[in-house]
Amino acid sequence: MDATALSAWIREFADLVARNRDELTALDSAIGDGDHGVNMDRGLTAVVAALDAEPPDTPSALFKKVGMTLISKVGGASGPLYGTAFLRMSAAADSVLDGPGFAKVLRSGLDGVVARGKASPGDKTMVDALTPAVEALETAFAGGADVTAAFQAAADAADQGREATVPLVARKGRASYLGERSAGHADPGATSVTLLMRAAASTLGAAG
Amino acid sequence: MTVGLVVAGHSRPLARAAAALASEMTPGRPVPIEVAAGLDEETFGTDAVAISEAITAADDGDGVVVLMDLGSAVLSAETALELLDEPLRERVLLCPAPLVEGLVAAAVTAGAGGTREEVAAEALAGLAGKEAHFGTAGEEPSRTGEGVSAVVRVVNEHGLHARPAARLVGELRRFDALVELRNENTGSGWVPASSLTRVATLGALRGHELAVRASGRQAQEAVDRFVELAGDAFGETQDHVNHSRPEPTLHRGSPTGNYPADGGSLPKPCGQPENVDNPPTPGRSASTLRAAPSSPGIAIGPAVRLSQPALHIPDEPSMGSEAEQHRLTDALTTARHEIGKLSGDIFEAHLMLLEDADLLDEARAAIDKGTTAPEAWRDTTNRVAAEFDALPDPYLRARADDVRAVSDQVLRALLGVPAATVDGEGILMATDLTPAQAAALDPVRIAGVVLRNGSPTSHAAILLRTRGIPAVIGDIPEGALIALDGSTGDVAVDPAPDVLEDFRSRAERHKKLSDEARTKAAQPAMTRNGVTIHVGANIGSVAEARAAADNGADLAGLVRTEFLFLDRDTAPDADEQEAVYLAIADALGGRRITLRTLDAGSDKPLRYLPAPSEANPFLGVRGIRHSLVHRSMFTEQLRAIVRVARRTPVSVMFPMVTTPDEVVEARRMLDEVGDLPPDLRVGMMVEVPAAALRAADFTPYVDFFSIGTNDLTQYTLAAERGNADLLDLTSGLDPAVEQLIEGVCRAAGPQKTVAVCGELAGDGTVVPRLLAAGVRELSVAPALVPVTKQAVRAT
Repeated sequence: MDATALSAWIREFADLVARNRDELTALDSAIGDGDHGVNMDRGLTAVVAALDAEPPDTPSALFKKVGMTLISKVGGASGPLYGTAFLRMSAAADSVLDGPGFAKVLRSGLDGVVARGKASPGDKTMVDALTPAVEALETAFAGGADVTAAFQAAADAADQGREATVPLVARKGRASYLGERSAGHADPGATSVTLLMRAAASTLGAAG
Repeated sequence: MTVGLVVAGHSRPLARAAAALASEMTPGRPVPIEVAAGLDEETFGTDAVAISEAITAADDGDGVVVLMDLGSAVLSAETALELLDEPLRERVLLCPAPLVEGLVAAAVTAGAGGTREEVAAEALAGLAGKEAHFGTAGEEPSRTGEGVSAVVRVVNEHGLHARPAARLVGELRRFDALVELRNENTGSGWVPASSLTRVATLGALRGHELAVRASGRQAQEAVDRFVELAGDAFGETQDHVNHSRPEPTLHRGSPTGNYPADGGSLPKPCGQPENVDNPPTPGRSASTLRAAPSSPGIAIGPAVRLSQPALHIPDEPSMGSEAEQHRLTDALTTARHEIGKLSGDIFEAHLMLLEDADLLDEARAAIDKGTTAPEAWRDTTNRVAAEFDALPDPYLRARADDVRAVSDQVLRALLGVPAATVDGEGILMATDLTPAQAAALDPVRIAGVVLRNGSPTSHAAILLRTRGIPAVIGDIPEGALIALDGSTGDVAVDPAPDVLEDFRSRAERHKKLSDEARTKAAQPAMTRNGVTIHVGANIGSVAEARAAADNGADLAGLVRTEFLFLDRDTAPDADEQEAVYLAIADALGGRRITLRTLDAGSDKPLRYLPAPSEANPFLGVRGIRHSLVHRSMFTEQLRAIVRVARRTPVSVMFPMVTTPDEVVEARRMLDEVGDLPPDLRVGMMVEVPAAALRAADFTPYVDFFSIGTNDLTQYTLAAERGNADLLDLTSGLDPAVEQLIEGVCRAAGPQKTVAVCGELAGDGTVVPRLLAAGVRELSVAPALVPVTKQAVRAT
């Protein structure tokens, strides 16, 4: 996976977020301040524009550009969270990534999110989808799976993680002000993570 | 040394204003305050890059303290640190102080040359002034240590008014817990949830947040129940919250007009009467006044007034606290008995007032101190009524009237003073009526009512409509003879002969039509070309079944069995259901009753089957969908229906059917009950357009179709019938709905009956079109049966 393949992933993520913007916003309206879809779409539109203006030539440069753009343009908590993830991924990335290398990079991103948001699994946050996704990716590659199967497993794991947030009571972020009322809705951050992993399955996974 | 400050937040104007406020504190020694807030002037959001740039700009070499608002500001500020170069990053402190207080304290300290640690410490202590002022330093404001708590939002249209408050108090009293509430929006004090009067003084309006806290053995259960109740609008039916799934009739008890029986929106607002001399309106005489129409019908008669014996409390000493406590107890019992005889939601709230612990405790304590029972009761209720009077919301303020009405009722019992009476027969002119007075009027003696105050949505007005007494509301001058038209709001005081003649002829027309309808009510309705159409009644109680029989209903075309299931803690078993269904059949003299199986769902929730909240309950798990999920309850109902069917003619029908599978499954469950009498007819309601379009697929499985036009109309036109702005779409028979009905009749063929139960079936102009389509049975509100039969005869 080189910068071009990874750019395709990010562009697909941007496209999925744009198409699911209203759903993300609706989820966030139920339990937060209702801006997740709008914020992520604004940030990723800016990301795509930045990639168009000056295509990065290494994975590290790509992730840095994505991260910096997101922390500046998203506006909500997902800005510093996604932004930190991509900045950490930038720091961890080699010039060309193979499957296990990508898993390692994504693990760094997850660590960044956890460090920034101080959220644990079960807090009803994006961590609940990203953690199982990273673990599925690692397990798949450790078991010798090809990238198609591995990314599909990661996307499925993210989906399941997201579903598991539905009954949870939020303990972090704006939704935590709602207490028990936050139960019954999927977490919007976990939902956008599933889009990120679906984008990976359909681009990076297809490349294999 | 000057430490720089950075405000990181979501809103640029807010951050700038906070910075300006803080700068005022250091006029002599400007402190660098940089703002990094918002994505632009208007867009809320935080930007880590902008924060890192602001930090760089604010640093003079002595370091920077960053204050943040909330949420992503904190995360973005932390992220910003990562973007800074090493030496600067070491000089930055992120300070969790409250933004405004912290910034002011920080600016003062920075201006005085403090270090960044001192600046941050002073900022953190910025709340001290406020805490000292309120004496809350060191404790959690408004939270008890060991208690359980929660916060809910009030969703009721009119806030937490009498009915929902009564429900809340009634429910929470059942728990072994001390439960208290406060209004977070008004910063009210904590009040006991066991006291209706205190709960109402919270002034909780729609959108307000109510905090609840509880202690005691069942504290958790009480708080859970409270949260659940709040989510359910405290049991207020959707009708009251203005998003109704309309009942199949709105015309209950008002034979001619277009008035909702539950006091929903009315066509014309209540207003001052206007003299319409200029310009003259056709058909209305120059001396006619205009009031707000409130209850339809025409009434002419001498003005009579309410004679209200004064409640004079004699100045006499207490007979001793024990005797006085007894007097009060007896009077409360009497009042409770009187109120208990009246039917209506409002009287539930009145009964609750009589059991209000807070109010009773206060009155009883006064008696113990040597006050007489009447004085103690009057003083306490006056105090409570005054609390309501002081509330800002007019709806809640009007609850003072409820308190006064109940107070007077008890005082009358205490003093042995009879209730208000009407001196004579004719048109009652009154300032306003208490609900109890409205409920007690004798329609034989009182032809109509003019209320000077009040509104068409008041309890009194609703009760008058329900009871079929014509009424208007307006500041009508005194007079000897009054003529009024409660459908138009026209009123004539001491009318000139020609005006009186006009009202008389209106009344005659009206009377002729309804008399003719009434005299023929019991006869079968046959069209001019000899087709007999069964006209039945839609009923929801044994009392309505009696009304249906009185009005000549040929059958009960729809028995809404929900009334047996709602507002109770457990589902009725087959025995109880059987008894009630038999009582309905008896009241109808053994005519066929069409029992609709339970039409529940999250729009009509059952207390014992908590429903998941659905984004759109009208499109959710309702009707047969609900029954097929709650199968044991469904089987129990089918068992009761089969037992009744062995003794009296019964049809059973399933509501909200969408696919043939549902009918097949429901019939299978019916068969499992066993031993079905051959006379039991099984049908389905057609309310879902999909079912209408596929009617032919259902015909093998049903004996009849019953078209619920209210729901079929709203689902076909995607227009909610409770929405006053959509009346053009939802009133009358839309051509699209007409086509669906025609299709069902075609599919049904001559073997299967097609009935229409719904408001449309009572519309004289629509009846010919329904019959032309092939409908052979109509079912309407009991009071509309006679006029519907007339409409059939004219077809």
